[in-house]
Amino acid sequence: MAATSPESSLSSFSTTAYTPSTTAYTPSTTTQAISSSGFNFPTYTSFPPFYTLQPNLTTRTHQLELWSTLISSYCAYYRIFRLSLSSLPTDLFSNANIHRSLKPGDVRTVLDHMSKPENGPRIDWIPSTTRNEQSSSCYVYWKTPGEWADALHGWVDETGQKGTVLTVYELREGDAVRSKEWRDMDEGMLRKVLNVLVKRGKAQIFGQEENAGVKFF
Amino acid sequence: MASNRRGVGLSAFSNAAISSDQYARHGQQLRTSHADALANQLSVFQAALHNFSLTHAKDIRSNPTFRAEFARMCNAIGVDPLAGSNVKGAAASGGKAGSVWAKMLGSSVNDFYFELAVRVVEVCRETRSENGGMIAISEVQKRITKGRAKLVGGGMEVTEDDIMRAIESLEPLGGIFKSQTLGGGKFIKSVPKELNPDQSTVLEVIQVLGYVTVSMMQANLGWERARTIAVFDDLVADSLVWVDAQAEETEFWSPASMHEGGG
Repeated sequence: MAATSPESSLSSFSTTAYTPSTTAYTPSTTTQAISSSGFNFPTYTSFPPFYTLQPNLTTRTHQLELWSTLISSYCAYYRIFRLSLSSLPTDLFSNANIHRSLKPGDVRTVLDHMSKPENGPRIDWIPSTTRNEQSSSCYVYWKTPGEWADALHGWVDETGQKGTVLTVYELREGDAVRSKEWRDMDEGMLRKVLNVLVKRGKAQIFGQEENAGVKFF
Repeated sequence: MASNRRGVGLSAFSNAAISSDQYARHGQQLRTSHADALANQLSVFQAALHNFSLTHAKDIRSNPTFRAEFARMCNAIGVDPLAGSNVKGAAASGGKAGSVWAKMLGSSVNDFYFELAVRVVEVCRETRSENGGMIAISEVQKRITKGRAKLVGGGMEVTEDDIMRAIESLEPLGGIFKSQTLGGGKFIKSVPKELNPDQSTVLEVIQVLGYVTVSMMQANLGWERARTIAVFDDLVADSLVWVDAQAEETEFWSPASMHEGGG
């Protein structure tokens, strides 16, 4: 391991130094209030290796956790209930400032990690309608179906609507739910939530599809 | 009087013996009275010091400037404020004065640094999967000041000096927690693995420039490709660096800058 030439000093290194980007992405805060500047991206979204699936498995596990947290926070902020691999939000999976983006295959790896029960699950793959085809979209559980069920049932209870029949439309888009976090929830996801309540014996569903009605107990 | 002193024969001998005996006894008396005076002074000092620590325990815990001054004072008089917490009995000799000191102040100063050491160990453990056991002391300081998540008011206001002192107190654990300087930045190493010179050099380069590539090591330090790749592989295997495969040439980054500037 003999050096063939004297070691140059570090100051003679012939490349420009990295300076962390401080322009487009403001430091993260813990609050998620919607501000005019949009979602506060954590500093690590400006770290170039964040967009490369790490070869070291210990590091990778930690990286997957950071991605999971980022995706959950982003979806909660923008109230995104469903992600489709063919039309993902670009600013979530890439950083134009540093010209890096998570490869589609790696996006799937991240979502697979989030879909595991031991990791939440924080997303749920929606089975493809085509046989033998991989799923290409998923529900995002920034709140779990159980938590949504509690919220929904709590609202029905507080507003004295137990025993009345509400339509799925009303629950999703009615005037009464305009200020509620679940408004405009993807219909498929709402049905999952309602099924949780049915299993708990707290709701019953009548009819099919758009005309379905729900009675809460 | 000269002739009296210089007695000859037996009488001269006995005179000298008597004098030296007298001198010896007198010297002994002086030493005893000096020692007594010193012991007396010391116990007065100890009492004052004890009162001081009781009065200022709160300051020691809450005020980093006070702690720095206090540590400076201790160092100036040759006493280690954290010394002797493991000493079983106070010995009387000079070198153990530090343990007497620490015994009196121990409860406030030692408690603070013990608690801080626990926090440092926690932070190192929590971040190990991100940085492989090498963490910048500035990041440790930031995380400890911020406090544990979900605990209100759980942060400790500490300086990097405090953290260094706390780490020194962890030495009895077998030297796993050590400070290391890389490229001008201070790091805490919390894994037993020692870096060899090549690995240290690469980490230093990364610390200064943010990242490094095989070409950079070749061009600037004259390293052969095989040697460079071997070192990079080692560092990746120890989870000390992160890989960026989307650059023109694969880049190896330190995770130290990952959360910089953020909360």
